[in-house]
Amino acid sequence: MKSLILLLSFCSFSALAAVRTEFSGNVEIQGRQSWNNPQARKDYFQNWKKEEFYLGYGNVNGKIMYGQSTIEGNVFARHSRSDLYRGNYAAATFFNFPQKLVARDIFKLQHVHQNDVTRDEVVLNKLYYQWENEEARFIGGRLYINYGLGEIFNPINPFNQPTALTSISQVAQGNDGFGFSLFSSETHKIDFYLLGDKRIDGYDGQIDRTLWAHGELQLSGDLEVDYVIGEDQNRDKLGTQVSYQNNDNLFFFQGLYQTPLLTKKNTRNLVDILLGYDRQLTQKWHVRVESGYQKQNPTTATIVTERFLPTEYFIAVANQYEIHPLLKVSATFINDIKSGFTYGLARLTYSLYENAEAELFGYSPVARGDHADNVAQKLVTQDIGLSARMFF
Amino acid sequence: MVNMKINFRPRELFFCAALGVNANNADEWWKYSDDQMRGDQSRGHMTMTITTPNWKRTLEIESDVNGTKEALSTIIAPAKEKGIRTLRIEKNMWNYFPKLKRKVAVSSSMLLASWMGSDFTNDDILKASSMSSDYSHTFLPDEKWQGEEMRTIENKAKSDSKVMWPKIVTLSSKKDCLPRINRYYDKENNLKRVLTFSEVKNFDGHKVLTIWKMRPTDDESKETTLIYNKIDFKVKFPSSHFTQKTLTQ
Repeated sequence: MKSLILLLSFCSFSALAAVRTEFSGNVEIQGRQSWNNPQARKDYFQNWKKEEFYLGYGNVNGKIMYGQSTIEGNVFARHSRSDLYRGNYAAATFFNFPQKLVARDIFKLQHVHQNDVTRDEVVLNKLYYQWENEEARFIGGRLYINYGLGEIFNPINPFNQPTALTSISQVAQGNDGFGFSLFSSETHKIDFYLLGDKRIDGYDGQIDRTLWAHGELQLSGDLEVDYVIGEDQNRDKLGTQVSYQNNDNLFFFQGLYQTPLLTKKNTRNLVDILLGYDRQLTQKWHVRVESGYQKQNPTTATIVTERFLPTEYFIAVANQYEIHPLLKVSATFINDIKSGFTYGLARLTYSLYENAEAELFGYSPVARGDHADNVAQKLVTQDIGLSARMFF
Repeated sequence: MVNMKINFRPRELFFCAALGVNANNADEWWKYSDDQMRGDQSRGHMTMTITTPNWKRTLEIESDVNGTKEALSTIIAPAKEKGIRTLRIEKNMWNYFPKLKRKVAVSSSMLLASWMGSDFTNDDILKASSMSSDYSHTFLPDEKWQGEEMRTIENKAKSDSKVMWPKIVTLSSKKDCLPRINRYYDKENNLKRVLTFSEVKNFDGHKVLTIWKMRPTDDESKETTLIYNKIDFKVKFPSSHFTQKTLTQ
């Protein structure tokens, strides 16, 4: 009996020793002063002139690995405070972008509370079990699905919104379901997903299914092709991404075709296109250009909260320059080709310590676009803010 | 390959012949040095410290290298960058951000970019270029450095190689045939940065210079020190190691 206990104890200790755990996370506080567009006050009932908005948020991530198995979870919590909540003004929604932290949601697993001047939310936006061997990977639970080269617009991936234009960092959206990845060769990988979403009809409604395949094929040293095909949010979708490296230049293209809604007659198909270019110009200067077209979806009234890109045809230029190893500046301009509306954002990030940084940020319409008929463009505010973030 | 004619030097011939290096052939000096410091496959654990008069920053990196073709680096510390991996296969590179499960292809021009704000570039860390194969080598007259007569080798980028520095001048010790200084010149032949090597240690039969100090010439108060804490040259990576699967694990 003693031998058995000793043997079991030894096995338990050995098993525990083989378990690896990781904890990490980040917290950030930020405050901003915001000025409203006079036209939004006049025409769109956004009756405020100048307001302050304070935001604090954080992620706590835990990971347990044992052999070929992994369990990982992430809790995201956010608290914001502003008088903008009192009038239910749209700006507060933009400042909280991305507001939707679970893109395909069956299990809820979130708490949101809003009163006169504050909004609190706690979301379990990642919790999955993963098993893998040499050729395949199985994953189930609430997943991050993150692929595609677009940083400002990334149409081939409907499961994670690009956050390049927001003031929030280290945020990704969860998706409820299962995934299976097949590494068929060193140059070809296919991911299959079965996901669900209940929120369209409320949590008591039926599950909207997503059946999705995403493949990555390395055709040569310079050329890589991604393809996506499947059914998602009641549309059949087919798309591709082609990326090509020529000397020091990276060119990429994305195209996504979406059929009319499968469950409703007389709806439109949708097409999204992206052209991109990326280059490290010097040791300190990085530039990226993204240009594209997204067909407006008339069934999505809140286009800004969904995509943070209130334009149909756009061109964006993003620069990042390292002034000093501790100090980086980035500036991005997005132009709506049709209306002339141009939006600029700039960030100055200073590394305070190894795990802490401060950021001064500013958002402003550079050109209002004389012929703009897009409501969302008129709601865009002018902001200046300061944030401090820590990583652990 | 052009090699300058030099006088017969029995003393250095003795040391280098003992190492299997032809003292009169600059190509062989670099081939020997690359073999020693790089090996066929290796896993290294490094600490990088960026120092200026006002601040200091330390990073820990684990780097797996398969010759000049493949490399996979992982940041171990600090927490802000922990877990970020970079995979290089030939000239193709991908970054992976595990917290967001995001993999992005990066332009090969990123090899020129500063690595995490240091004076080293991605190329220095991911070892895309090889001194022995990307440069042609010529002896210059010897130079004295720290009381030791050093072999001076001029390394010029081959026309078909895509490397950042068109010219590098190396001072190598005649005692162990390993470099002690690399001077990097730009296209206009201006000296841009100086890398000094010290502390030879033996890892699995490979003699490795374990302390690398990089100083940019435009800011002499700044310095980046890279210390190789450990290198495992006996590691055998499976064929699936330098792949997207390992990158996204």
